[in-house]
Amino acid sequence: MTDATAAAALAPKKSIITVDDRTQKRNAAEKRFRAYGIAAIAAGMVFLVVLLGSILLNGVTAFQQTFIQVPVYLDPAKVDKEGNRDPEEMAKVSTFGYKPLLIEAMAELVTERGIETEIAPGDMDALFSSSAVAQLRDRVLANPDLVGETVSFNILAASRVDGYLKDRVSRDSVARDKNIDAGHLDIVDALRAEGDVVKRFNWDFILGSDASESRPEQAGMGVAMLGSFFMMLVVLGLSLPIGVAASIYLEEFAPQNRLTDVIEVNISNLAAVPSIVFGILGLAVFIQFMEFPQSAPLVGGLVLTLMTLPTIIISTRAALKSVPPSIRDAALGVGASKMQSVFHHVLPLAMPGILTGTIIGLAQALGETAPLLLIGMVGYIATNYPDGISSGFLDPNSAMPAQIYEWAKRADPAYYERAWGGIIILLVFLFAMNAIAILLRRKFERRW
Amino acid sequence: MYDRTFPENAVTAQDIKIEAKGVNVHYGDTHAIKDVSVDIQDKTVTAFIGPSGCGKSTFLRCFNRMNDTIDSARVTGDIRIDGEDIYDKRVDPVQLRAKVGMVFQKPNPFPKSIYDNVAYGPKIHGLAHTRADLDDIVEKALRRGAIWDEVKDRLQAPGTGLSGGQQQRLCIARAIATEPEVLLMDEPCSALDPIATGQVEELIDELRRDYSVVIVTHSMQQAARVSQKTAFFHLGNLVEYGDTDEIFTNPQDPKTESYITGRIG
Amino acid sequence: MPFYWTLATILGLAALGFFLGRHRAVASVGGERRKLHSLRKYYGINVAMKTLTPALGLLVVWLIAQPVIVEWRVSDLVAGTDVADTRVQTLVMVDVRRVANGLDTAVAAGVLSEADAASLTADSGTIRDTLGDAGVALGSDVSAPVLAAAQRYRTLSARADLTRTVAVLAVALLGLGWSLRETDGDFRARNVVEQGVRGLLIGAACIAILTTLGIVLSLVFNTIEFFRIYPASEFFFSTTWSPSFGGGSQLGILPLLWGTMYISLIALAVAVPIGLLAAIYLSEYASKRVRSVAKPALEILAGIPTIVYGLFALLTVGPMLMKVFGDGGLGWMQAGTAVMTAGLVMGIMLIPFVSSLSDDIINAVPQAMRDGSYGLGATQSETIRHVIIPAALPGIVGAILLAASRAIGETMIVVLGAGAAARISGNPFEAMTTVTAKIVSQLTGDADFSSPEALVAFALGMTLFVLTLGLNVLALYIVRRFREQYE
Repeated sequence: MTDATAAAALAPKKSIITVDDRTQKRNAAEKRFRAYGIAAIAAGMVFLVVLLGSILLNGVTAFQQTFIQVPVYLDPAKVDKEGNRDPEEMAKVSTFGYKPLLIEAMAELVTERGIETEIAPGDMDALFSSSAVAQLRDRVLANPDLVGETVSFNILAASRVDGYLKDRVSRDSVARDKNIDAGHLDIVDALRAEGDVVKRFNWDFILGSDASESRPEQAGMGVAMLGSFFMMLVVLGLSLPIGVAASIYLEEFAPQNRLTDVIEVNISNLAAVPSIVFGILGLAVFIQFMEFPQSAPLVGGLVLTLMTLPTIIISTRAALKSVPPSIRDAALGVGASKMQSVFHHVLPLAMPGILTGTIIGLAQALGETAPLLLIGMVGYIATNYPDGISSGFLDPNSAMPAQIYEWAKRADPAYYERAWGGIIILLVFLFAMNAIAILLRRKFERRW
Repeated sequence: MYDRTFPENAVTAQDIKIEAKGVNVHYGDTHAIKDVSVDIQDKTVTAFIGPSGCGKSTFLRCFNRMNDTIDSARVTGDIRIDGEDIYDKRVDPVQLRAKVGMVFQKPNPFPKSIYDNVAYGPKIHGLAHTRADLDDIVEKALRRGAIWDEVKDRLQAPGTGLSGGQQQRLCIARAIATEPEVLLMDEPCSALDPIATGQVEELIDELRRDYSVVIVTHSMQQAARVSQKTAFFHLGNLVEYGDTDEIFTNPQDPKTESYITGRIG
Repeated sequence: MPFYWTLATILGLAALGFFLGRHRAVASVGGERRKLHSLRKYYGINVAMKTLTPALGLLVVWLIAQPVIVEWRVSDLVAGTDVADTRVQTLVMVDVRRVANGLDTAVAAGVLSEADAASLTADSGTIRDTLGDAGVALGSDVSAPVLAAAQRYRTLSARADLTRTVAVLAVALLGLGWSLRETDGDFRARNVVEQGVRGLLIGAACIAILTTLGIVLSLVFNTIEFFRIYPASEFFFSTTWSPSFGGGSQLGILPLLWGTMYISLIALAVAVPIGLLAAIYLSEYASKRVRSVAKPALEILAGIPTIVYGLFALLTVGPMLMKVFGDGGLGWMQAGTAVMTAGLVMGIMLIPFVSSLSDDIINAVPQAMRDGSYGLGATQSETIRHVIIPAALPGIVGAILLAASRAIGETMIVVLGAGAAARISGNPFEAMTTVTAKIVSQLTGDADFSSPEALVAFALGMTLFVLTLGLNVLALYIVRRFREQYE
C-alpha cells in the first residue's frame, strides 16, 4: 500500500463540517454540469421563441390589407351600351371594359385631393389590384340600377402599395421595380393622409380563395381550408373505426401467433416510415393503379389515413390497456361474452383516451405536407370553392400546408407574408385541436 | 486499521457514534417519524425492528441524508455524528455519505464490471492516486466483503451477473471501499435466500470490529442473531431501545412484547 | 345499373334481411323470446351480415379486377403499334382509356348517339372535334387502332358492368336465403355474429400489413421498371445527378445520399447534445415547476408541422446565416439555402424528439441505481455521468438512431431550406440536395410516369425506405433489449 492511501486511512474522524478541496472541486463540476443542462433548456426555449416570434412578426400583417376608398362614376356609355339595363347584355362587357372607369376615378380622386403628381392618369392602375375591376363588374351586374351613378367603392390596393404601407416595399426597392414608381408612392402618402387609403382587417385572407401569381393581395386560405376540412373528414371517418377495431383485436383478442407478431412489427415500423414514402404509395396505388382523380381531398385523406393509423392504433392500445382487467372479469363474471365485455364495458371506458389520441393524430395529419406534394395538391391554384359534398371530396383542391408551400415557392415577397399568415391560421387550428385533446384528457382522466 | 489513532482498549460500549435527538420526518402530509431520540454506539451492530411501515427505514435514511433525494421529505431535529450536526448548513451531504456508507434492501450493483463497481466510490472520492492503489483498495474491500475468493478470477465480469447473495456482498464491499465509519443497512437480506442470508449475517458480525453498523430488519431472529442493541419502532415512534438480549427476553413495553411474540406485525 | 345503385340495393337487401331474420327467429319459437339462444337482434345481424359481406367482397374484387382484365382483352388491338416496349404500351393504353371515357362523356352529353359511338371510324377525322364539343379535350388525333380499342373497351366494360351487377345481386340474395334458412331458435346467432365481428377486427388489424405491402409493391415494381431502362450500377455508383427531361440524364444517387447524410449529421449535432442535456436536466434536476413549464414548451416544438420549419429555414434562418457567413460577413455562403440552414432547422425540430425519447430511457433506469450511487457519496452529476448514462446508453443510442431515421426521411425542411444543387462537397455553407427533395422534384414535374426521370423517384424512395426501415428495426431492437434488462 502506498503512502497516499495510508495517509487517507490515517486521517479518521474527518470533520464533515469543513468542506475539503476535493469536494469543492467536485461541487464546482456539479455546478458546471447543471449549467450545461440549463443552457440546453434555454437553447430550446430560445429556438421556440425565435420560431414563434418570427411567425407572429412576419405573419400578422397578412391579416391586414390596404384598401382604397374611391368614388367611381359608372358610365352607362361604357358598361351598358344598349342602355336597357339587361344584366345579360351587360355581362358581355368584360372586366377589360371596366378598367378605364376605375383609372379615371383614381385620377379624379387624385386631382380632387389636390395632389400634384407627374404620374399620367393612364398609369393610375399601378395603385389598385387588378381584382378591383372584377369587383366593380360583379357589383354592377348584381345591381344594374347602379349604372349612371357615382358609387363609392372600397377596392384592394395593389400589392406594392400594400407592401409600402407595411414597410415591405421601400422607395429604394421601388427604384428597381417596373410595376410602380416613386410618384405612385407620393400619391399613396397623400391619400393616406386624407384617409382614402386605409389598412383594415382582411377577412378575405382567411375565407377567400387563392389567386394567380401576380395578385398576392387577393390570395386567401379559404378554399385550401375547405380542402383540409374534407381531408380531415376522410381521415377521421376511416382512421377512427379502423384504428379502434385493429387495436381492440390486438389488445383483447389476438392470440400469440405469427400473424399477430407480423402485425405488431408492421405497425411499429409504419409509425416511423417517412411521410414522403406514404406519398409515393398514394401516387402509385391510388392515382396510378386505382385511377382516382389527382389533387382530390379524398386521395389526400386516404394517404393521410394510412399515415396516421399507426399513431392512432398505438394510443388506442394504450387507452385500452389502462382499463384494469377487473372490469373485464366483472363483465365475464355476469355471463357476458368476451365481445360483449369489450364493447359494453372496456371500450366506453377507454373512449376519452382513444379520442385524445385520435385528435392528436388528426392534428398531425392536418400539418403534413410532403405526401400531398406527390398526389398533386400543390402547383394547383385553388380558386374555386367546392360546390357540394361530392365535389368537396373529388374536385381538385389544395390543403392548408400545401397552400403555404405553394405561396412560399412563389417569387413575389408579398407571398411570403401570406405564407407566414397561413402558418398562423394553421397553428391556430393545431393549438385548438391539442387544447381540446388536453381538456378531454383532464376532464375524463380516471385513476384506477 | 481504520482507527489506528485510538488504542484498541479505548473502544468501549460507551462510545457514542451517532446521537439523534427529537427527530421528526414528514413526507408531504404524512408524519413518518415522531420525535425519535436514540444514541448509536461505535463498534456495535444496532438493529431497528418493527412492523413494516413503522418508519425504521426512513429513520435510517436520515443518518446519511438520503432523504434529501426525495423532494417531499422534511427532516427536523438534531442528528450528530462524532458530535457534528449532519444537518448543519455547512455540511456537504456528499462528504457525509462517504463517511456513512449504505447498503440497500435489493442488491443494486451498477451495470458495470465487478471491479468498476467497487472502484467507483474510491474513484469519485479520490482515494487512490495510482492504478495499483486502486487495485489494492478493490481487493481489500472485496476481501472485507467476503466475496474475493468467488470473484477474483472474473473481476471484469459484469456485477449484474452474480447471484443475489453475491451481489449483496458486492454492494457491501462497494460501500466499504470508500472507507466509511458507519455502515447503514436497509433490510440487506430481505431479497436473499437463507444460505446467502447466513453469509451476509456472518459478514455483518465481522464488520462490527471496524464499523458502527446500523441494520434495519423485519426479521426478529436476524436482529437477535447479529445485533447488540435493538430499537423497536411502531407507527413512527421509538417504543423501546436497549440491549438486544434485554429486549428479546424482557421487553419493558407491552407493544414490544406483542411484536416479539408475534401478536402484531 | 350503375355502381352506386348496386351498392344501395345490397345495402337495402341487408336491411331487409335484418328484419326478416329477427322476425323469423322470434316466430320459430312461437314468440317466446326466452327460448331463443341469443338476443333477437343477433339473428337479424346474422342475416344482414351474410347478405352483405360476400356481395360486398365480390363487388370490391370485381372493381379492382375488371379494368385489368378489360385492358388485357383489348391490348391485342393496339398490339400492332408498338408492343416491343411495355412503356409505350402503357402510354397507348392511357390514350385508349381517355378516348373511351371521352366517348362515354360524349354519349352522356348527347353529342353522339350510342350507335354512333360504336360505329365511329378513325378516318372520319372528326372524333377530336366531336369529343371537343362534349367538353373532352384530346391531345392529338386518334389513330384507327386506338379508336377500335377504345370501342372494344367500351363494349367490354359495359358487358362487364352488367355481369357484375347481376353477379353481386345474386350473391347477396343467395346469402340472404341461406342465412334465413338456418335461422331458428336453437341457432347460435350471437356466436356467429361475434365470429363475424372478430373477422372484421382482424381485417382492420391487417390493414397495417396491407399498407406495408402496398408501399413495398409500389416501390419494387416501379424500381424494377426503372432499372430495366437505366443501369442499376450507374444509379448506385455514379457521382453525377443531372436529370434532363429530353433524355441523356445522369441519375447517380451518391450526391443525394451525401447531401442527406451531411444535413442529417448537422441536425444530429444540434439535436443530440441539446436534447440529451435537456432530458437529463428535466428528469434529474428540474423542480416540478420548471418541469411543468419546460417540458410542454419543448413539446410544442414537436407539434409544429414541418412546413413551418421549412419556411423558417427559408425565410428566417437562411437570411440570418447569410448576414454572418454571407458576402457581408465571412463570405463563405452564396445563398441562404444551404446544408447548414437545413441542418440547423432540422436539428431544432429533432430536439424534442431526442429529449422525450431520452427522458423515457433515463426514467427507465431504476431508482436503486441512483440510490446506490448517492449512498456512496457521489454527487448528482457524477451519478448521471458514471452510472445513469452508461446504464441508459443502449437506449440513448436507440433514440439517436430513431432521430437519424427521422432526419433522413424529412422532406419539407430540405425542399425549402437546402437548395437544389446535387453536389458532393465538404462545405456546409453550400447548397446541396437530398434523396427526399429529389423524390418531390422528380414526381411533381410534368414528366410522364414512364420516363427514367420520373421512375428514378421510386428507386430513390426504395433506398430511403430500406435505409429508414433498417435504422428503425435496429433502434427498436436495441431499445427493447435495453428495457428487458431492467424488467
